[in-house]
Amino acid sequence: MKDIDEKFLELKEKTQLMLDLAYSSLLYDNKIIAREVYHLEEDADREHDELQRMAIEDATEDKDIEKALVYVKLATALEVIADSAREISDIALRDMDMHPIFQQSLRDSDSIITSAVVSEKSPVASKRLADAELPTETGMWIVAVKRGKKWIYGPDGDFVLQKGDMVIARGPTDSEDEFISLIGRKVEWESVE
Amino acid sequence: MKLWRKKEFEEVEYRPKTVREILTEMKDTSELIVDLAYAALLFNSHDIADEVNLLEVQMDELKYQLQMTAMLAARDPEDAEKLAAVLQVANATEHISNAAGDIVRLLNTPLENRPVLFSILKEGDEMIAFVWVPKDRSRESLESIYEKSSSGLNIIAVKRGKRWIYDPEDDFIVRPGDGLVITGPENAIEELKEYIWGTNK
Repeated sequence: MKDIDEKFLELKEKTQLMLDLAYSSLLYDNKIIAREVYHLEEDADREHDELQRMAIEDATEDKDIEKALVYVKLATALEVIADSAREISDIALRDMDMHPIFQQSLRDSDSIITSAVVSEKSPVASKRLADAELPTETGMWIVAVKRGKKWIYGPDGDFVLQKGDMVIARGPTDSEDEFISLIGRKVEWESVE
Repeated sequence: MKLWRKKEFEEVEYRPKTVREILTEMKDTSELIVDLAYAALLFNSHDIADEVNLLEVQMDELKYQLQMTAMLAARDPEDAEKLAAVLQVANATEHISNAAGDIVRLLNTPLENRPVLFSILKEGDEMIAFVWVPKDRSRESLESIYEKSSSGLNIIAVKRGKRWIYDPEDDFIVRPGDGLVITGPENAIEELKEYIWGTNK
């Protein structure tokens, strides 16, 4: 895969995670999740600029302007999605009581985003994701993992979960508790770096 | 004339829906529309792109509805402050749907001029796939299909004849000849394809 394509894929996954986190920041009325969206948005801005530059560089080499335009337009669309995620998380950062309607309507939604930290005793610790069979067991599946300060988006089946990893997952609202207890414990967002 | 073009500038009338209902719908649509936009690029499908356009128009409408409902719901300045935040979120979901619309407009670039990029959209753990239900397969509810497949699978849209049904409920009956747009982990999608094609004939 070419560099530019890999970068696109990463930005696409990042914007999806940002949306998931943004809605979660509303659902849990949580400033720390909202700040995470802010950090990711700064990264996304940078990546957007870089992608546009790469597309133009390619075009000056192979003279394929149409192709470069597609890249530039797609990068812009992804950036709009990233900005929108930030606009949503703004609400959680503002110093005012949130309208109860946010919690109510996000609970009514088809799917929920949840997070959990892998504990030492968890049956999924040190297991390949493919063997942990989380989707089969709980209906939830992992959209991203935060290990230390690093985000891993859309981990594949060979990815091995470690104790202390923070896992972000999506799935049906009623599977949330089961998922958290299987992974380990709830995320104490206040202590997340 | 395409349905979404017809609806684009129609008058939006007030309908008695709650802010809560409209917001849920906008949130769900903002997620679905991005998935569908990527699916449209991946399958080079103008059909799916039309659905994205239609959803985009519907999002505009929902935003209008929400604005009207919110105005009627505000009883005092404190209410207004809180409801302004709801409108901001609604605005953001509408921007997302516009971005999805911009993504499907890339289909107007001739295929030979498009980067191979789109084929990579299916990488990563989550894939999007399109499966035709064989003509000789018996009817089956989504619930029953989900029970027989690994979880993590989600049928986000169904093509029936010329019509599209998105976000079908569990009691939705899949009929022979339907086209299913599925998202989920690769192995689960493969299993589902085998199930749809191989058994229950």
